[in-house]
Formats: sequence, structure tokens, C-alpha cells
Amino acid sequence: MAAPQRKTDIGPPHYKEYLPPVIQKNFGDWKYHQIINPGLMVHVANSGDKIWTVRVASPRLLSTDTIRDIADIAEKYCGGYVRFTTRNNIEFLVSEEKNIEPLINELKSKHYMIGGIGSGVSNIVHTQGWIHCHSAAVDASALVKVIMDEFADYFTTKQTPNKVRFAVACCTNMCGAVHCSDIAYVGIHRKIPRIDHDNIKNMCEVPSTVACCPTNAISPDPAKKSLKINADKCMYCGNCYSVCPALPIADPENDGVAIVVGGKVGSLRSNPKFSKLVVPFIKNNPPKWPEVVEATKKIFNAYMAGANKHERVGEWVERIGWEKFFKVTGLPFTFQHIDDFTIARETFRTAATFKW
Amino acid sequence: MEKEEIKQKIYDLVVKSTGKKKLKSSDIQKQISSDTGCSRDEVKDALKDLMDEGKLIYTYFGGSYVELPPNQ
Amino acid sequence: MPKKYETPMLDELEKGPFPSFVTEMKKAAAKSDMAADALGQLERCFKDNRTHWKHGGIVGVRGYGGGVIGRYSDLPEEFPDVAHFHTVRINSIAGLFYKSSFLKEMCDIWDKYGSGLTNFHGSTGDLVLLGTKTDTLESIFAEFSSRGWDLGGSGSAMRTPSCCVGPARCEWANIDTLDITYATTQEFQDEMHRPAFPYKFKFKTVGCAVDCNAAIARADCSIIGTWKGKIEINQDEVANYAKSGMNIQTEIVNLCPSKCMSYDGKTLSINDDDCVRCMHCISRMTKALKPTGEKGASILIGSKAPFVIGATLSWVIVPFMKMEPPYTEFFDLVRKMWEWWDEHGKNRERIGELIIRRGMREFLEYIGVDPMPQQVKEPRRDPFYFWKEEDLAK
Repeated sequence: MAAPQRKTDIGPPHYKEYLPPVIQKNFGDWKYHQIINPGLMVHVANSGDKIWTVRVASPRLLSTDTIRDIADIAEKYCGGYVRFTTRNNIEFLVSEEKNIEPLINELKSKHYMIGGIGSGVSNIVHTQGWIHCHSAAVDASALVKVIMDEFADYFTTKQTPNKVRFAVACCTNMCGAVHCSDIAYVGIHRKIPRIDHDNIKNMCEVPSTVACCPTNAISPDPAKKSLKINADKCMYCGNCYSVCPALPIADPENDGVAIVVGGKVGSLRSNPKFSKLVVPFIKNNPPKWPEVVEATKKIFNAYMAGANKHERVGEWVERIGWEKFFKVTGLPFTFQHIDDFTIARETFRTAATFKW
Repeated sequence: MEKEEIKQKIYDLVVKSTGKKKLKSSDIQKQISSDTGCSRDEVKDALKDLMDEGKLIYTYFGGSYVELPPNQ
Repeated sequence: MPKKYETPMLDELEKGPFPSFVTEMKKAAAKSDMAADALGQLERCFKDNRTHWKHGGIVGVRGYGGGVIGRYSDLPEEFPDVAHFHTVRINSIAGLFYKSSFLKEMCDIWDKYGSGLTNFHGSTGDLVLLGTKTDTLESIFAEFSSRGWDLGGSGSAMRTPSCCVGPARCEWANIDTLDITYATTQEFQDEMHRPAFPYKFKFKTVGCAVDCNAAIARADCSIIGTWKGKIEINQDEVANYAKSGMNIQTEIVNLCPSKCMSYDGKTLSINDDDCVRCMHCISRMTKALKPTGEKGASILIGSKAPFVIGATLSWVIVPFMKMEPPYTEFFDLVRKMWEWWDEHGKNRERIGELIIRRGMREFLEYIGVDPMPQQVKEPRRDPFYFWKEEDLAK
């Protein structure tokens, strides 16, 4: 059978068609919400109407089999209505209170992981990794899996002083907001790109490749009709590889993970913050990256022990000071921790007031 | 200027640049509009026709460019 | 029957409580040759400690310059069914709402033409169909567009705008994030599908400063809902929070960033003139505190990941704008910003980077926004600034 007639420039369908009737009726007229437990919350409208949300984790990568199962469950208990969160959770939208218990029972029997609401560990924002990306220095889904397995109790039941938002970016392109997360992982390279001189000519445009380098390390090599890279200037970001495929940078021996902490995007109590480098490098160790999990436990446990109620990781660190952060976590401080990129001088300590 | 004429000028510009400089859509809009005095919107519209007809395609190499289809 | 690969390393990632992406890939691999080879190649990546994908940019649907991302295996002989393994981005619904009937139709189409693997959702918020061949792209596009679904953005274009759940299910939304997102997507269809910008441009809209869509960190244009009136206090509900164990002094008053609150053990007061609308107190005492008065948004520009000059957060351009349909004032502002960026932006230069390179004055003058102290954390520290003839005449 021939495919149907294509249409262009139509945009997505209107959202109203996809909202449960109780939401359509009370749109913009909600009074309050209450978190009943990490897997269940209720929103109450000024009209007195209620909608319950049951949240479960997903690995973001879903097969059509699983999506059909989600659709079936939504049909059975939610009139077919379901949504996703920006952190890859699935939210079943329940309009009738009597459906909550059987829904939760079915989700449990099918081993869905229920939780993620409130002060705890929610699902992890992440990138494609080795599943589908050309520039990934590390896999992303595997890191998500091992970190979420380790902190699963904080998704389903246990509380933290405030939300702990994890993120994984498989290279410094950062196709996710890892630069502003409580604890985040970034795939990094440590050696300069290799130059495939034979292919530069066919595959790459020299001026745009030269221009894309953040540190001006790339220059034309007219004799070879190719490019040169100044090894003293290159900081292995891989931006050039995205512009010019003849500059491969992936290196099994030297690629790995950096850990950054203390970022947030909300403005509550204190302004949004960037994440800062705390572990410059852990060598890739698939499939389970145990060293990454161990380093994360040090950070997480120190936060749990030291933070006041409502403090995010970054607020806790700012209160105690970074020098104390390195002391209480036992993470080593190295040359790589001291900035020498575009905002370096803003980060130097311009007062003699610090902790021993 | 007739749309067909603008289309031809765009096509010629892309042919001329092939292998020398990758053109972005905005490069074409600026160049043709200053060469011919047509508005940017007229150039854009002509470019859209060339794309819909498959005479030109968009490519992506760390940025979006306008190029000839690969078999030509 | 699709090929079956031994995957001892990936099998390790099927253990443990968190749902496993490997299990998902295996489900798809049982039905699809493409998914089977994707799984086989992934095991190989784990063994080799590196990715085996190549990017390439000459795939798409006729007339569009975005929505499809070309992807190829660098081991095509070994894994022929992922020799081409392109991504299709479908523009998701504002707020990421779905109905089961659509999900099932989507699955049928995708099983027919693709690998059966998806991402709910990509980082920008598209519904991502992961892995198909070049010759099926037109059919996939026809199947979706004939049902009312279009492709999302990619390349040097407007990317699929996204938002928080907003007024659909949140009492804190100061603006209709879903409507703004839908209207923006429809208004700029050409800018989304026919890439003509120096580089990508992202809109993210959130209803308040809690920012449940990370608008401030990952959007060239961040639209953050806010208000201008007082916070209405329900003292009975304040008493209920105190009774239920909340220490209002330490948990609320002491954590207020602008120190505009006080509590005498009975009554909570707020000096609204000094409130910066951070949302801490409201988020902790949602039954007791409610913003009132004029609602609108702050428009901020410029956040992005670290390439090229280091990561940036968006900064304030328009401190307050009413955001009501048909959003004429907002769309006019956006068009002015794009004009200036089109005129001066270098290839792969985001609008925020251009503002940093050429200065806020030029940008603000072009878009017609006056300088205001709300746009900066502090005035400049250096004595090196320009004077124009018109300044001297004042």
C-alpha cells in the first residue's frame, strides 16, 4: 500500500486534544498539590476536582513493546492519558481515585520502578552515548543505569535534604543540561585529534574547521592541503570533529569521565549555578564503571551527612566552602581543578579567608 | 524579477561555489538579494522551490548548508 | 528471525532495580534486524571502549533541512543493518502529553519502517525515533504528517520549542507555557524546517523560577513566568504548616534570599517590595502563599553548553513582558533579534556568543530595549566605555 499524502509545515498537534478532561476543565485553575509519597501526588483545583499522578522511571530508550504496554496501562486506568517528564519519567494521569491502587499494583507486578517525586533522586537527564552518537567519549545509558541502581532507594522511598539532580553528557558538547546539575558526568578526551590528511580535502571545509576551535589550536597546512593542530593549545574538546569528520578523537586508552557538582537551574533560595569540576578523570571501565560509582558515593554521602534541610548540593558546598568539600569527600585536588580557560581569574580566591 | 530567474541565479551560485565554499541559506539570501535587488523573502521563496523540486538539498556538517544533491 | 549476538557485557546491565536500556534493545532486537545489529554493535563498543558511529549530513526529507540526523556505522560489513541508522525527530506535544491511541499508531508505523527503538524524549524534547534507513524517510514523514504530526528541528534552525507542564497541572504557572510553546512552534515553522540561521536557536518556556525545564541553562531564549503583585498569605494555612511540623523561621524565613519575610510565631509577613520571586517559600507552603496581580514573563537570552567560550546561563533582556495571545510583542522582539544575529553572526555562533562579542548596547539598541539595572548583576567595574555622538548631545 502506498504511503499517505505528506503535508509540510503543520507543526505538532494542538496540546488541548491530548489533555485529560479534568485537566481541560481546570486548566490554569489549580489550587495546590500534595506529594503523598515519592510515587504519587495529587493536584487539587479551585473547583475541587483532583488529578492524581503516578510516576515511574524509564531508561529513556524505549522499545515499541514497552510503549504499547504503557499505552495499555494508560487505557486501563487513565482513560488513555499519560505524559512524560523532561527527566524521562512516565506519568500516569489518574482522574478516578479508585484506579490508583490497581494501577500501582499492576505497575509493581510488571516491575516498573515507582517514585521520583519530591526531595530525592529523580531520573537522570542524559545523552545518546555509544548507542547512537559519533562523538561520545563514554556511554551514557550505562552510567545512568549503574548510578540509578546504586541510588534506587532514593528514587522509590528515601529522602534527601533537597532534590539531587544527576545528569550525564557523553562528550563536552553536552546535549543535556549537565553544566547546571547537582552531580553530573561528562565524557572527556585527553589526547589531540588524529589528522586524516587524505580525507580532509573531501570531507572538510578548512576555514570553518579552523574557526570552530575554542583555543585557536587549528591552522591551515597549505603544503599538505590539510590542517595542523597545535598540541600545546588543544584541550581535546572534540568540537572540530563535529565540523570535520577527518579529525577523529575517540581513544579507548585515554577517554573517560569527569565529575562536576553543585549546579542548579531553579532560582529557589539562591540563583542558578554552574556545576564545578571535582573529579577530572576516571578511565572508562565498561560495562559498569565501578570507579565512577565509588566517587559518586563519596560526594553523595558527604552531602547527606553535611547538608541542612532544603540545601541543594551546590548550596551546601558554598556554605561549607570548596576547600572543605575536598576535605570531607577525600577527593584529591589537582592542577586540572584550577581554571585556565575563559573565566579563570573570576575563580581565583581574592581573600585570605578560607578554612584549613 | 521573475521567480524562475531568481531560482536560476541561486542554482548558478551554488554550482559556482561547490568544492570551494559551503554556502549557508543566509549567504545565498544576502548575495542574491544584493546582486538582483530582490527582497530576502523573494530569494527565500525561490530557494524553497528549488528544495521542494529536489534541485538543491540541505546538508549538515556542524552547521546547515545548501548544496547540490550528491548524484550530480 | 533477526540475528542474535552474544552480549556478555551488556547483560550485566540488565541486573538491578532500574529499568534496563539493554532489555529494551533486546525486545526490539527480537523483531528487527536493525535493532539486532544496533545491539551487536553496542556490545562491540563496550568491548572496544569506544563508539562505532559516524555522522554525516546528507539525509532528510524533501524540502526540509532538519528533523533527520544522519548516522552510519563505522563497521558496516560486520553490522550491515545499521550501515544507515538515522534518527527522526518528531515534534512532541507541548507539555509532553500523549494519548494511548497515538502511542499505538506510532509504534505500528515505527515497527514497519524503523528499528522499533525510540527515545522518550531527546534532550531538546523531540519524540526521537532511533534508527532507520535512508529510503524509508519519505514514507515515515508521510505517515506522521498525514496524521497531523510534523518533524522537529535540527541543524542551524529553530529547534523544537519546549516547556514545563505549566497551567495544565501546576498551581505556580504565571503564564500559559503550553500555549506559548505551541504558538511559537506554529509561528516559526519556516525557521524550523529550513535552516537559515548562523547556528541553532532554542526556546524554552517555564511558568515560574522553579524552572522545571532548565530554561535558564539550555535555551537561547528563556521565557520565565513571573508576577508583579503581592504574595497573598492565608494565615490559617500558615498555622497548619507550623502545626504539621514545619519550622517556619528556619525553613522559610531564614532561607529567603532577599530577607523580605518575618514570622512572630503566629503571623507570617512579607515585604513584597523586596521580594525577588525566587519561589522557595511558595514551593514549600503552596497552600498558604499565592502570587497575585499582573502576570507575565521575564525574557532572558543566551544560555548554552560550553562550546565555544564556556557554558553560559541566560541573562535578562526584557524584565517583564505580558505573554498573551497573539503574542505580537514577543514575536516582533524575536524577529528583531534574529535579524541582528543573521546580519552579524558567524557560522556556528549562538546569539548569546554574538552579544558577548559585539556588546549588549548594540544588541539592545537594535531590538529597541532600553538599558535597565535588572539586566545586570552589577554595573561595570572598568572605566573603559564608549560614547556616541548622541550620548554627548544629551
